[in-house]
Amino acid sequence: MTQLVLGQVLNGAIIGAMYGIIALGITLTFGITGIVNFALGEFMMIGAYVTYTLAERGMPYPVAVVPACLIAAAAGYLSNKAFFRFTRNNLVNGLLVSIGLISIFESASMLLWTATPVEMHFVLPGALRVGDIGLPKMKLVVFAVIVVVIVATYFALARTWLGRAAFAYAQNPEAAMLMGVHTPRLETAVMLYSTGLAGLGGALYASLYSLEPAMGGVYVLKGMEAAILGGIGSLMGSLWGGVILGVIEGVGSIFLPTAFRDAYGLAVLVAILLFRPSGLFGDE
Amino acid sequence: MIHPIRAFIATATALMAMVLVPAATPASAQDVVKIGQIEAQTGANAIYGWMSSQGAALAVDEINKAGGFKVGNKTYKIQLIALDTRGEPKEATVQLKKLVEVDQAKYIFGPFLSNVFLAVRPYAAEFNGKLLMWGGATRIHDYVGTPGHEFLMRTWNWDAGKNGFGELMVDNLVKTTGAKKVAMLFQNDQGGKVLEDIYVPMFKQKGIEYRLDYFEPGTKDFSAVLAKIGAWKPDFLFPSYADSYLYDIVRQATETGQLTKFFLVRGSLGPGLKNKDGIEEYMVYVPKYFEEAEKKDPKVAKFVKAYKDFYKRDFPYDQAPLCSASCYDHVYMLVEAMKKAGTVDDPAAVKKALMSMTYDGMWKIRFDDKGEAIFNFDVVRLKKGGALEVTHINPN
Repeated sequence: MTQLVLGQVLNGAIIGAMYGIIALGITLTFGITGIVNFALGEFMMIGAYVTYTLAERGMPYPVAVVPACLIAAAAGYLSNKAFFRFTRNNLVNGLLVSIGLISIFESASMLLWTATPVEMHFVLPGALRVGDIGLPKMKLVVFAVIVVVIVATYFALARTWLGRAAFAYAQNPEAAMLMGVHTPRLETAVMLYSTGLAGLGGALYASLYSLEPAMGGVYVLKGMEAAILGGIGSLMGSLWGGVILGVIEGVGSIFLPTAFRDAYGLAVLVAILLFRPSGLFGDE
Repeated sequence: MIHPIRAFIATATALMAMVLVPAATPASAQDVVKIGQIEAQTGANAIYGWMSSQGAALAVDEINKAGGFKVGNKTYKIQLIALDTRGEPKEATVQLKKLVEVDQAKYIFGPFLSNVFLAVRPYAAEFNGKLLMWGGATRIHDYVGTPGHEFLMRTWNWDAGKNGFGELMVDNLVKTTGAKKVAMLFQNDQGGKVLEDIYVPMFKQKGIEYRLDYFEPGTKDFSAVLAKIGAWKPDFLFPSYADSYLYDIVRQATETGQLTKFFLVRGSLGPGLKNKDGIEEYMVYVPKYFEEAEKKDPKVAKFVKAYKDFYKRDFPYDQAPLCSASCYDHVYMLVEAMKKAGTVDDPAAVKKALMSMTYDGMWKIRFDDKGEAIFNFDVVRLKKGGALEVTHINPN
């Protein structure tokens, strides 16, 4: 039993990191620009399918990840220019635009790739065995990449002028603009980065799981949970929120029915929000 | 300036045209047989509906391009109105209403999903005798042939019933592998419950020890539940019913070496082939093993070629139940029944004709006395490395 639980703690942490990368996109977009982008899962889907398409046509997987992120970011840029920039600080409008975009992107991917699930060739087959615990090697790589990306994003925002500008914009856009921050450009940069991150999440996802047009929906909800659990606006909180969520789901599934796996994370989220309404790492 | 009299004449002519054209429509509409279709073409469970709507569309296109079909002295073409339910029961009910009341379709293909069927059934039953519904859903088994459900026929001999493949598959499993412990892993939805209802009594009756776990629809990572099942050490894992889950389950189970033997009743060969070096055994029901059938049967070869030409893409050999192919046959079978009945307007007479015929298409399809389709299927056993063994089963 100990091995089973330990295995799920490790596995949950890895899965949670996947939630974390979407959570990071959510926390950046909402925390800085005030835009609610529930369609982030669709940018993840774009990244996943682009990676799959390129990799199956012979492009090495690490190379295919780059255009996947760029295409997802480009789709994010267009979505921002066409819709999202008009929804700043308006939850309902952001939600409506997101629902519309989810429908459009899902239908487009149905046309392009059909509803048939597709699975990429194994990028890194096999599992690392420690006692009775088996951890797929690719999952470990994915975990490492996500941790590096989130930590790098944290330092980039905490230690650079751009990061300070972003935080200033989040606190008071008018004041930030008066202090020389080019706010429309900043907003675009945040959108590009968050959707590019979602594209990266999708590219990593494609190396682990099968793809289908509706895949984004589940992950954006998990990302949302992770972002709220970690505290909206907290970059490291998004990683920790995802990891905690993943571990709760994994370990909960050992002792309780797996049919309600999603509920375990939600129950803990509600319990934590009762005591810390701004999340574990959010500002009070 | 427009002359007032000319303007009056133009307006009057337009009005007359508006009144007379719809009046003329029924005359031309008589030459068209409308087939409505309610299937999930998108969404998580789209795999069945998407494929079946493709098969029907292909057959309709072929029939219409050939000039239609003749019943009595009249030649008819088919208008297929295929609507996407997205697997949502409420959506499907609204769509069925539209098909029946607005489009006045008397023949409905679908649904393949049990949750959708249960939702549309009460409405469809109001049109008993005026409608013919051809659905593949497993739950249709509970209603077909019962009073008040004469409108219903079941086009797919899924696992349930004496002519279903469930019993035959389990017999095959026990006989060929001697399996004594089977772990079931189904999604927590109507489809999963259907499988539980069918297979739990069957395993009990055959003395097979079993455990049943459910997972949340939408799950992609099964490592926790697979670890739990792996610790129970079953002879076979009997997972899910949709490829959207099977690819992940088989991959994750074999990647860590936890579970390597699989028994499937509704998935495709694809996940097994993809993980052929990780599996020990992968036993799967397929309506037809197309790779083999295409080489042996000219009808299958013709269908595969037509599919590739029509959709301009490769044939999805590793697709789940290939319902598309069966719906292709169903359209032709329905046309044959209309010819035999001598009418396109009387669904009850067409049903009577269907019940008395055997259609020899890609499958040999007939209906039992309740209205459930009986047709041949294949069981494929895939072994480590990709070696295949195909068994052809013909229900009596």
